Amino acid sequence: MWRKGSSEGSDRFEYLQTLVTEFQDTDSEEAKEQVLANLANFAYDPKNMEYLRELQVTDLFLDMLTEENENFVEFGMGGLCNLSMDPDCRDLILQSSGISLVTNCLSSRREETVLSAITTLMNLTTPSSRSEIANPAILQCMLRFSLSESPRLRNLAAVFLQDCCTEEQVAQAEQQMQGQQTAVGIPLPNNS
Amino acid sequence: MAAPVGNSSGCWGVPEVYKHHEQRKVCISRPKYREGRRAKAVKVYTINLESRYLMVQGVPAIGVMTELIQLCALYGVVEEYRPLDEYPAEEFTEVYLVKFQKLTSARAAKRHMDEKSFYGGVLHVCYIPEYETVEDTRLKLQDRRRYIIRAAQNKVREREQKEAETEEPTTSNTATTSENIISRHDQMPKNDNTAETSNISHYSGFPSLPLPPQERHYYGHKNQHGIIPTEDKMGTLHNAINNTKQPPAQSLSFSQTSSGRDRGTDHKQTQNPSSAVRFVPRTTHLENRKRKMEEAAEHSLTDVSGKNETLIGPKLPEPPKLDMEDESLNTTVNLIRNTMKQVASVPDVKPVEKKVKPRRRI
Repeated sequence: MWRKGSSEGSDRFEYLQTLVTEFQDTDSEEAKEQVLANLANFAYDPKNMEYLRELQVTDLFLDMLTEENENFVEFGMGGLCNLSMDPDCRDLILQSSGISLVTNCLSSRREETVLSAITTLMNLTTPSSRSEIANPAILQCMLRFSLSESPRLRNLAAVFLQDCCTEEQVAQAEQQMQGQQTAVGIPLPNNS
Repeated sequence: MAAPVGNSSGCWGVPEVYKHHEQRKVCISRPKYREGRRAKAVKVYTINLESRYLMVQGVPAIGVMTELIQLCALYGVVEEYRPLDEYPAEEFTEVYLVKFQKLTSARAAKRHMDEKSFYGGVLHVCYIPEYETVEDTRLKLQDRRRYIIRAAQNKVREREQKEAETEEPTTSNTATTSENIISRHDQMPKNDNTAETSNISHYSGFPSLPLPPQERHYYGHKNQHGIIPTEDKMGTLHNAINNTKQPPAQSLSFSQTSSGRDRGTDHKQTQNPSSAVRFVPRTTHLENRKRKMEEAAEHSLTDVSGKNETLIGPKLPEPPKLDMEDESLNTTVNLIRNTMKQVASVPDVKPVEKKVKPRRRI
């Protein structure tokens, strides 16, 4: 759809801006979902990441995480998953208290939302944010996920446990889990 | 693994049809401006949905597996393939798993083969990330992150180049006599921009070597804005000090510090009124300049080395140029290739020999 040219960058920016504007202006829930999904998909291409940053789409996605509409949450979380791969976007998300917002999504019933949340948390892990991310509650959650029936969930949780925290931290979390009879209260998502 | 684990559908042993494999209804309510070329469902793609593993459904059960794999191989190396007998299939069709070496190949194959007709049937191609191992998943995420970071770095570099190039026509110094260039270079004001400072220190490391002309030229391009008002002054000073060799310009630039700096920063600020103030870290400038140097040097080197090789012996066959199907990746590949060429063609550098004074034997 987009041809390369000298004005390609600004065309792209304008188009993205149009999308954001529609999202803000429209009353139609359905249109909002479509636009949100578009933006989240555009966030997959690194060429767009800078423009999306400028248009404050990171904040837009973060806002979606507290919406009641589960599609909004899923698409917003997907968009963040895509954007957070970029260091600049990652820092923006961290600055906007992204960790707690994303962590809440770990309890979503939607598998895609949870997967996006786990990946985003991994992307958000920096030397300074590591301690906040590798906290016992999250680790226990990941341990439960690593026992899930879903292979994708199992794999992502395993990668998280291997890459984002130390073995001691994992062992500690395991011990704490055995100590508790009931689970932490984060239900496993179903594939609905 | 042969079949997905955790099968709760009873005695059949048939794996669950994963939700994300199912085709969703196409969205019909999009306004024109955001209608794509093909009608698509509302779905968000993340790295978790993509995979090197593809599933191809709807393959007519007439013994065309080989043809199918040949078709897949058009998009990249196929590491593994097998029929997925355990997966529910429409009558008279088969389902295959195809594992590509690279995610990009799988992506291309999916894009081109999905919904296409094949020997009378219609293929449905989707990613099957649930067949990945933990290691597969980890590598997938790592590769993706690296690619994004590289793309971001390339973009920064491109922007810097563009900025450097767009600065040029706004100034009056289009003449490129060597004197002009020299003086421009000399009055590199040591201003607040740390990049400029690093410029000077970078070049002061080579006091005795004259800078190659291209580099100076580039240098001039890059630092146009800070320099025009002070040019004459610098020129005069330069002559007065009478430096025959090029860049012990540090002394000159130091003396110009106070006047140059203010004008430099002022100028810099006025040049970019519309764009937001961007802090470009010093390393990017360095790397960018280094790369420019290397590219300039490499051009001259390859000419020379080419001649040498034809004189001395048989030329090694050039490795096939690999097209990564992506601009930024190609740029990176070329950079690496050029660096390798340069490294290979530069003759062994003899360490600077210290003058050994003959010791007196007592």
